[in-house]
Amino acid sequence: MGQIPGCKPGLEPQAQALRPDIMVHFTAEEKAAITSLWGKMNVEEAGGEALGRLLVVYPWTQRFFDNFGNLSSPSAILGNPKVKAHGKKVLTSFGDAIKNMDNLKTTFAKLSELHCDKLHVDPENFRLLGNVLVIILATHFGKEFTPEVQAAWQKLVSAVAIALGHKYH
Amino acid sequence: MLSAQERAQITQVWDLIAGHEAQFGAELLLRLFTVYPSTKGYFPHLSACQDAAQLLSHGQRMLAAVGAAVQHMDNLRAALSPLADLHALVLRVDPANFPLLIQCFQVVLASHLQAEFTVEMQAAWDKFLTGVAVVLTEKYR
Repeated sequence: MGQIPGCKPGLEPQAQALRPDIMVHFTAEEKAAITSLWGKMNVEEAGGEALGRLLVVYPWTQRFFDNFGNLSSPSAILGNPKVKAHGKKVLTSFGDAIKNMDNLKTTFAKLSELHCDKLHVDPENFRLLGNVLVIILATHFGKEFTPEVQAAWQKLVSAVAIALGHKYH
Repeated sequence: MLSAQERAQITQVWDLIAGHEAQFGAELLLRLFTVYPSTKGYFPHLSACQDAAQLLSHGQRMLAAVGAAVQHMDNLRAALSPLADLHALVLRVDPANFPLLIQCFQVVLASHLQAEFTVEMQAAWDKFLTGVAVVLTEKYR
């Protein structure tokens, strides 16, 4: 078989597509940028804030949370206990991504199926939430959130979004 | 359509940027090129050497246009018409790139304002800049 650009040498494209471990590669610097900030975060608070901001900035995303009670204003949304709890759950799961950066598709396979089959969430929402999370990190870390650090995090949130959409059918 | 509160949020934040357009714009471009390297193709004169003076100069120009948009929030089409022509006929930046620039814009705001970058500011600016992008790409076809 001739070499096709982008394919891992020695593996034919069809075989490569079935290998979940051939994924986005994070450099040592990118991993360091990601884990060092993660270590300093209050995951519970940041999760609630990320989900809350998503629901405020992109109000159509509220369509998934009809049973969450009062979403009538930004302060209602950010103070809503169900939003906070769910945000915490989502971001805690994100922590799994950080422990498995080289293996995201496998790590999120079950969650991907869940979001497709049960929750019916448009994968575009994963992209939006990832971008909101990056903005929140910028508010927390200020100057420390350099362009290079932002790049590492955007790469991670993008890879997580792809992994979560991977099992959609 | 922007509500009165949204307009207030936009001008409030703009007052913080005004006078610092060059630095803001330079940081914006640096983030854009670092985070989304494919955008560099649209700025061949800039991205080759990423000379600080050039980034400041071009950043200033871009932010001055944002400032003009802020002054004419109620009539973006008229105010940005020459820029819309420029983007449609000369620059032809693929519309998919504007959300990337908007994300970087928000990150610059967020990293400088930190806790003061409220959700209301984020919502108003995301909506406003998205409206600007729509106007800039409206004449594409």
